[in-house]
Amino acid sequence: MGLNRDGVNTQDIFEAQDMGYSGGHKGIEMGGGGPTFLTTKIDFVVNWARKNSLWPMPFGTACCAIEMMASAASNFDLARFGMERMSFSPRQADVLICAGRVPYKLAPVLRRTYDQMMQPKWVVSMGACASSGGVFDTYSMVQGIDTIVPVDVYVPGCPPRPEGLIYGLMMIQEKIREETLADHSELRSEDPDRAGLPEAGDEDISALSGPFGNSTQQEYLTGLAQTKRPDRPKDLLP
Amino acid sequence: MTHVSSIEPDIGSEHMLINIGPQHPATHGVLRLVCELDGETVIKVMPDIGYLHSSFEKLGEYRTWNQIVPLTDRMDYLAPLIYNCAYVMAVEKLMGLEVTERCKIVRVICMEMDRIFSHLLWLGTTAIDVGAFTPFLYAFQERERIYSLHESFTGARITTSATRVGGMMADLPDGWIESLKDFLDTVTKTLDEIDSLLTTNAIYLGRTIDVGVISGEDAINHGLTGPNLRASGVPYDLRKDHPYYDYETYDFEVPIGENGDCYDRYLVRMEEMRQSIKILHQAIDRLPEGPINVDDPRVSLPSKTDCMNDMESMIHHFKLITEGISVPAGDCYFAVEGSKGELGMYVVSDGGYKPVRWRIRPPSFVNLSVISKLAEGHLVSDLIMINASLDIVLGEIDR
Amino acid sequence: MAENNTIDALKNVFSESILHHEINAGDQCVVFVSPSQNTEILSWLREEPTQSYDLLVDVTAVDFGEGLPLQVVYQLWSLKHKNSLRIKCELEIENLTIKTVTSIWKSADWLEREVYDLFGVEFIGHPDLRRILMPKTYDEGHPLRKDFPLRGRFSRAEQTRRALSQDYHDYYTEEMLEIGGEPAVSSPKYDTDKGNAS
Ligand code: SF4
Repeated sequence: MGLNRDGVNTQDIFEAQDMGYSGGHKGIEMGGGGPTFLTTKIDFVVNWARKNSLWPMPFGTACCAIEMMASAASNFDLARFGMERMSFSPRQADVLICAGRVPYKLAPVLRRTYDQMMQPKWVVSMGACASSGGVFDTYSMVQGIDTIVPVDVYVPGCPPRPEGLIYGLMMIQEKIREETLADHSELRSEDPDRAGLPEAGDEDISALSGPFGNSTQQEYLTGLAQTKRPDRPKDLLP
Repeated sequence: MTHVSSIEPDIGSEHMLINIGPQHPATHGVLRLVCELDGETVIKVMPDIGYLHSSFEKLGEYRTWNQIVPLTDRMDYLAPLIYNCAYVMAVEKLMGLEVTERCKIVRVICMEMDRIFSHLLWLGTTAIDVGAFTPFLYAFQERERIYSLHESFTGARITTSATRVGGMMADLPDGWIESLKDFLDTVTKTLDEIDSLLTTNAIYLGRTIDVGVISGEDAINHGLTGPNLRASGVPYDLRKDHPYYDYETYDFEVPIGENGDCYDRYLVRMEEMRQSIKILHQAIDRLPEGPINVDDPRVSLPSKTDCMNDMESMIHHFKLITEGISVPAGDCYFAVEGSKGELGMYVVSDGGYKPVRWRIRPPSFVNLSVISKLAEGHLVSDLIMINASLDIVLGEIDR
Repeated sequence: MAENNTIDALKNVFSESILHHEINAGDQCVVFVSPSQNTEILSWLREEPTQSYDLLVDVTAVDFGEGLPLQVVYQLWSLKHKNSLRIKCELEIENLTIKTVTSIWKSADWLEREVYDLFGVEFIGHPDLRRILMPKTYDEGHPLRKDFPLRGRFSRAEQTRRALSQDYHDYYTEEMLEIGGEPAVSSPKYDTDKGNAS
């Protein structure tokens, strides 16, 4: 993907030419002397603007949040994709990046943050814990934030590398590029009465959060631990 | 919501309740502080924690002794290798296992490197809290170097899981020591730069001097450890006072503050990084050749040749792999000087393949409990600085 | 540190209350004391100049399951003599009460709250004994007890529903609500049918 002088993604412009048609040969060279307008589809313009100015709301809790910070720092530089403005207030944000473990105590906070975000909004679930509970298949942990809020992109890894997160965010951009206003009413219809309620139904939650294997050797039925202390014969001698 | 209207008409009430967190950029994680304010002065702070309670200790009871290692670095993701080392050191102590000389020094290198790693993040985020963004970028530049050191040694950037009972997961890769030396050169320069940005900066001084003062006596009574305690003038450092891994033979100083305010805590941490660099140089010089893992049938696998040739080794190999190591009954509390304070690992065994109890003595949990005392009477903006200066990590507070 | 004079001194002063002692993991002194005497013994250990265990490093508990007594563990450190000491009190599992040591060390405050939260040990005289890590409305019991299953007692769906149906009373203590000008109301009972209590 090349960038031209004005920071406009050239690929987008070619697409624009495909979709509509430019008024005059030099239309795309802004201020190049020719007619300075461009006809295109409103879908394209809206999506183009949206996807290149995503404001992430970093909902960072644990280790993954550190990798999210690393992606914002100079080596990986999320700002290259129009996301330099980390928006710590949900009302001014477009993408919720949930990075890290979400215990049940934090679940209402996550749901509330999501509810407070303006439409259109997207959610990235970063890391194994946010996506599925990860290693923490325990009493206090939400087994995947998709039971709480709808998720658009899951980034796997424990933690995902910053490149992984950036790739996930670019997938969101890709998703936005393919949206059309005709669908928005349906895509974005949100029932205000459902604010604060779990996203998934009971059965889905059970299906999503069932135990993954039994590698921990706990008693399957009771869920209690055994240390498997070896009873050495000599211990039993009088 | 109805309750809002019932508060509003009450203009006569002078005190206000405000809620900071749990999702707030300045609380360094999902910490929630409920404050009673009089104007902008903090009357009372009531911290609320547990928003990241992932039940490590319960999970540990379901894991075999070596399977716990990956949990330890997810607890303090700012200094993962210190936690890896501390845990296996406790188990080794309970087993009466002495690791090899090379392993000891590799672990010292790991721990000191991660002390710098953790302090750098603290430095960057604290600087953001007072409005300086540049130190954050500088600090992350150096952290990236440690990330790549972690990565080439363990394969992961943060979740290292580098230790095993009786040794390390692998020996240092070729050329690692050279990269470490490069890092030590650059980090010294970066520290000097950050030093020149912050240490005499008028805004920084104004925001930190005489803010959040705690006396040495109170600090002990509140159980503070690590740089927070030392900033109050108490020279308690486990590396000197209860040395492990021959720390007494290294030449380094323990920096001590005088006033116990935020500025002293900053100075102590800055100096600690320099001392860690000094220790790292010495450790590199004395790194011996030799095996990194102990040769002890209780923890180490027999060689492939032995397995193929005799039955006993085969059975031994099978048992170690399927059941894991077993640790004699008893309990053991082992503490190392972590980046945040005294990091203790308390393991209780009944002779089985899993611990009966695995407890982490959490340094920042205890350090955070003092915040309501420190912040009283300060402004809200100072509360943020005080919180930052305590250097907390929520993963380990809530466990 | 194995040649610790503390045990003899303790036996001299509190003859009956010192039940027995062990040396664990090579050189770690563990003294079992009678739970009814814990504050006296611990404050003596702190005040007595020949001992001066002035840093309370940790308070925790160990549950062995199978109806065995639960141990409350105090880990001490003396800055002056550079000694460590572990004091254990064994409590019957039916009667988990012990006196608080918050009056001796402030650091015991949160540590004891944590033990209360995760084990259900009641510390008599603690100024602010309430759950610290689990939510205020947590109903499943005390998670670190051996009879508590790893994934909790309720189904995941139920846990999710309960977590999301908290209202603001559940986030604030009575004291906070009073400061905020809101009369403290007891939290509404959880209503299974509606799924949302507010
Ligand atoms: S996925 Fe891994 S790195 Fe991310 S929060 Fe969970 S344990 Fe930490």
